[in-house]
Amino acid sequence: MTKTPRAAPPSPADTDLMLVERTVAGDQKAFELLVLKYQRRIQRLIGRMVRDTDLVEDIAQETFIRAYRALAQFRGEAQFYTWLYRIAVNTAKKALGDLKRDPLVSETALRGNDEEDETSGVENELTTAETPETVLAAKEIAAAVNSAMEALPDELRQAVTLREIEGLSYEEIAEVMDCPIGTVRSRIFRAREAISARIKPLLENQSGKRW
Amino acid sequence: MDTMRTEELISALADGQLAGEAFARGVELAAADPVARQAWQTYHLIGDVLRSGEQAAGALPAEFLGRLQVRLQQEQVAAPGAASAAAAGSSRQPAQAAANDASFRWKLVAGFASLAAVAALGWTAVGGPGAKPEQAQLAGGAPTGAVLAETQRGVMIRDARLDEFLAAHRQLGGASALQMPAGFLRNATFEGPIR
Repeated sequence: MTKTPRAAPPSPADTDLMLVERTVAGDQKAFELLVLKYQRRIQRLIGRMVRDTDLVEDIAQETFIRAYRALAQFRGEAQFYTWLYRIAVNTAKKALGDLKRDPLVSETALRGNDEEDETSGVENELTTAETPETVLAAKEIAAAVNSAMEALPDELRQAVTLREIEGLSYEEIAEVMDCPIGTVRSRIFRAREAISARIKPLLENQSGKRW
Repeated sequence: MDTMRTEELISALADGQLAGEAFARGVELAAADPVARQAWQTYHLIGDVLRSGEQAAGALPAEFLGRLQVRLQQEQVAAPGAASAAAAGSSRQPAQAAANDASFRWKLVAGFASLAAVAALGWTAVGGPGAKPEQAQLAGGAPTGAVLAETQRGVMIRDARLDEFLAAHRQLGGASALQMPAGFLRNATFEGPIR
């Protein structure tokens, strides 16, 4: 008796591709979901190249705009994040090139080989978009996530770790943990809910304090 | 899948575990339902923190997205044709059709560059503005009946007038760019490949 081959399970990359296709079909909300998913990663990437936080956000905005314009040309041969990553790097490089040509721009806006200045402290790097409170809030949220992880039951912590940190699929996690895929889905969801419950007050606090 | 709570559906969506109708439902919910949208945001935040050990400081997602939405609206207003053209070709077919676009464009550019080079050579060979009318006719202007044909050797320009010009150029053999016989090139003619 021959075994019928199983269809490849869907993956996060498939989700991204389907969201791209929906965007190209005219559903802007689908693109917004991609933005919400990748905004932090893109800002972190750009932040390694550019110091000024306002500029980081401007470049991140420009990255998503360029991606939106070019979505119809996205072939799906590479992963969506890889494609977006390339756009972000090119956009940041262009912005840095433009800055270097502008004699009015301060060197502190750029990263790279500039020497550490004793007089430059946190105050010089923070802009109106970032205050000591928001930096602290970000650290608090990270601490809360890690603390919530430690408080999780073993099977929930293991499932969410295998998914988020190791990047395993549900099928692979099911094999590792020797349980059905439905159980994997449920465990990961319950882990996320537990962590969300811990950080929700912090997120609301962060939103409420910005004015 | 039908019995899943909204947040559980979004959790599965975030992990790429939905397909077909379930996927469509998940996307609709995440886009329209505030609870689902918040769940989508929070679950991705959790993943980012777990992978990087920190949350990137900067604009809150809602603020960042708000500013981006304004720019996206301007994009749609500026290019309504692009949006409808994109909608018309929403399947993967445009992506597949565009796979060799860049390669074909370069071949096209190379083809026209070859044509420009030939025209420049011809202009030199027939002596510029003072050339005889029939020679100027051969050298001047862009061939109007040119057809680009892709062969194994690359893009070839097939045009009757061009063929005549090249044949005439072969007969001129031995003349240098200075319009003087190149004495050291005895009986030299251009024997290029017959087109």
